[in-house]
Amino acid sequence: MGFLRIENLYKTFDRVVAVDRINLEIAEGEFFTLLGSSGCGKTTTLRMIGGLEKPDGGAIYLGDRCLVSQERRIYIKPEKRDMGMVFQSYALWPHMTVFENVSYPLKLRGTSRSETRAKVAEVLNLVGLAGLEDRPAPALSGGQQQRVALARALVFSPKVLLLDEPLSNLDAQLREEMRRELKALQQRVNVTVIFVTHDQIEALSLSDRIAIMKFGVLEQVGTPEEVYYRPATPFVRDFLGKTFLLPGKVSALSEQFVHVEVPGVAAAPLVLDRRNVASSANGFPAVGQGVMVAIRPEQVSLSAERLEGQANRVEAVLQSVQFLGDRYEYTVTLGDETRVIGSPEARQLKQGGKVFLDLKPESISIWPREG
Amino acid sequence: MAKTESVTGALPARGWLPPLDGGTALMTLLIGFMGFYVLYPLVLIIINSFNTATIAEPPVYGLAAWREAFSEPGIWRSLWNSVKIGIVLQVVALPMGIFISWLLARTNILFGNALEFGFWISFFLPGLATTFGWMLLLDPSTGLINSWLRDLPFLSGLNFDIYSFAGIIWVHLVSNGISTKVMLLTPAFRRMDASMEEASRMSGANALTTLVRITAPAMTPVIVVVFLLSVIRIFSSFEVELLLGVPWSFYVYSTKIVDLARQEPPLVNQAAALGSVILVFLAAFIPLQRRLITRRQFTTVTGQFKPKIIDLGVWRYPATAFVALVIFILDVVPLLSVLGGSFMTRFGFFNLPKTWTLEYWTTSLSDPRILQALQNTLIVAVSAGVVGALAFSLIGYVLVRTKLPGRSVLDSICWLPSAIPGVLSGLGLLWMFLGTPMFRPFYGTIVLLVIAQVLGGVTLATQILKANFVQLGKELEEASRMSGAGFWRTYLRVVFPLMSQTMVLVGVIKFMFAAQHNSAIILLATSETRTLSLLALDQVAAGYREVASITIILITLLTLGIAVIARSFGLKVGIRAE
Repeated sequence: MGFLRIENLYKTFDRVVAVDRINLEIAEGEFFTLLGSSGCGKTTTLRMIGGLEKPDGGAIYLGDRCLVSQERRIYIKPEKRDMGMVFQSYALWPHMTVFENVSYPLKLRGTSRSETRAKVAEVLNLVGLAGLEDRPAPALSGGQQQRVALARALVFSPKVLLLDEPLSNLDAQLREEMRRELKALQQRVNVTVIFVTHDQIEALSLSDRIAIMKFGVLEQVGTPEEVYYRPATPFVRDFLGKTFLLPGKVSALSEQFVHVEVPGVAAAPLVLDRRNVASSANGFPAVGQGVMVAIRPEQVSLSAERLEGQANRVEAVLQSVQFLGDRYEYTVTLGDETRVIGSPEARQLKQGGKVFLDLKPESISIWPREG
Repeated sequence: MAKTESVTGALPARGWLPPLDGGTALMTLLIGFMGFYVLYPLVLIIINSFNTATIAEPPVYGLAAWREAFSEPGIWRSLWNSVKIGIVLQVVALPMGIFISWLLARTNILFGNALEFGFWISFFLPGLATTFGWMLLLDPSTGLINSWLRDLPFLSGLNFDIYSFAGIIWVHLVSNGISTKVMLLTPAFRRMDASMEEASRMSGANALTTLVRITAPAMTPVIVVVFLLSVIRIFSSFEVELLLGVPWSFYVYSTKIVDLARQEPPLVNQAAALGSVILVFLAAFIPLQRRLITRRQFTTVTGQFKPKIIDLGVWRYPATAFVALVIFILDVVPLLSVLGGSFMTRFGFFNLPKTWTLEYWTTSLSDPRILQALQNTLIVAVSAGVVGALAFSLIGYVLVRTKLPGRSVLDSICWLPSAIPGVLSGLGLLWMFLGTPMFRPFYGTIVLLVIAQVLGGVTLATQILKANFVQLGKELEEASRMSGAGFWRTYLRVVFPLMSQTMVLVGVIKFMFAAQHNSAIILLATSETRTLSLLALDQVAAGYREVASITIILITLLTLGIAVIARSFGLKVGIRAE
């Protein structure tokens, strides 16, 4: 049974459904991410967990404790939930120093002065801000403010840490650095984290599990590898990465593999793992059925010549090559779709000429024809 | 890691300037003009406090004025009275203002916008209207409320005398004391990042602890600004004390100065001595005020989320009723009272055979004195509005956008008038125009009144304009400069049109200020040049209550009317938290 359980959670704003009866179970110590584009209901869900928003229906449980239940008329106020939260704007109190900001939750819990001092020092050390206790909060840089906000949310050892797009206000380099630190920190303090983001890289790299949301509904919940390689819906597939999407036809089925003809692109049928069939439709796939073949471009390797006998080889046109220092970017047209393929190797390839792409079986998935 | 000071900071910063000599010339001109305009009259006050001869006579220097002034206990008492009123008023008004602003901006109180508009109305309601309206109600013998009280059982012994210290405090509270604070604080409360409060809730604090420990302290800079703006006006307060204090010989600083200057023979030198005392106090206080206001700048504004508001639960209804009652007392009561005063044969006498009459209106509107005063008011207020908006936009622009040397001097000069009691600048101008032979022909003309009233709102006007220049992206001007336009062309073709709305706002504020306030012009006006407000003061003093009601309604129509029109065009007043 999950540590944090969400049952039929429902919320509307002015008759627009923001969160539409979602169910979730999050394990203790898990790094759980709510991923989706803006307006998908992820922040609203997080705020309902924290108690900052009251649901219109459903219930949330933390362990045995009911935090909120529309049916049972229970609503625990945010200050009684024992959860830490980091806000997108950090929300540091400008009239307080770093120490005052971080010690505030302890003061409210009646912690003794010496213990407060020790705990604040410990948590500031943890986020790499030791020695900055007496700085006024507004005098810090963006990255430092973020760390203070994190320290404030962690200092009272909350049961759950809620993170609302905490990295989105940082510049790209700092964001990458903080991402790594955040993961290391979570592993060290072993707190249950619920993380809200619209950034798929943050979600994939940090999470134990990811829930992808769209219009208030959970599209898929799974480990990063699951949602990336075996997306359950076209939305998840397109949200998590770029794909070549080509029309094809199932030519043969075996227990383990599916063979798909992709006319005009592949000379021989492509072979893919049966696990990579989107499981959404019943009786799918069947031999002779028209399907869409999705190929992740980053799983592809390029070569100049056609090697006979190699499975899963398709023909494409190389549009251009760009050198980015640590890698090359090849812009390739496959069927009607043009995508960028990154590769660390320099290849002697002619721009505008034919190239061949080797596809791994797991990088190909098939989908029912849409529409 | 914060030690990496940028090396480029050592290079001389060169911003927008007209060609160097032109810029210096402009700055010299501005400082010279504003300095003469603002400082010279004050210098004259100090000089002439050591003069024993009256105005327009050759000066005889000596300490007689100081000695005489401060051997009279009335002077000290008047100073103390000003301070006492200021303290008691702020102690009541500031917490009320904070509480009401918080209710309006941060909670789910009902009809929040309508209620806020009520305070806005109160802010622009002329002080004369409020004061006189309450005089009609709380006069110890004829006041309507008091006569009602006499007819009630058990309460017949109760009598509220408005001509008392408590009465003066009450009228201050209901005229501007509360509404100014609500007007200034509500927008700031509204712009506060709600996640700061939410972070406090998540840390384990309840709503009340959050208000006390987070919301109010985070708003301290704004609250301090609002507080200082009020404190510095302690010695400026005039009309209320004139109408409610002088009848029982209760003088405050400003009424005492007018009293001294208007005695026969006039004791202008003693008035100057009294004025100098406050100038010394202000000289110490203004730099402190400026430093506090400009010192710590909390960025409480993020603008990322629509602010989440606090659910008051069942307290929602009592809170709404409370604020609505405050507005009723602030707006409706005085207005009804003044209206009643103008249409009733005798105010408060509902049992007369002919209770209501239009007689006072028909005689007033054909009274040449009222028409003359109306004309004077329009001349003074319109000139103050137009001149103020045009001149101060240039000053604001130069202060914000250029790097010319001398900006801090100019800025300081512009801060000064907010602290100078109107009576003092009136006294200074009186000396300037009577004592300087070149200016003497202007004395007794309406030009003097215009000059005095333009000065009145310098600080507010330049601050509003400065804030808007800061807000207006620099890129728009830079684009103009890159396109080849010079300083003046950029100012006229880009800045001026973009700022036109703010300038209309400044003009409107100055218009209302000039039409309402008497303290700066009371020593300068003659019976030919007096404005409606001055006429109303004279009428009240002479006991013509019904006619005074009509004059006051005319002033209210002029000022509140302009304010409502301006608001419908989307102009809003407020100060920024930053």
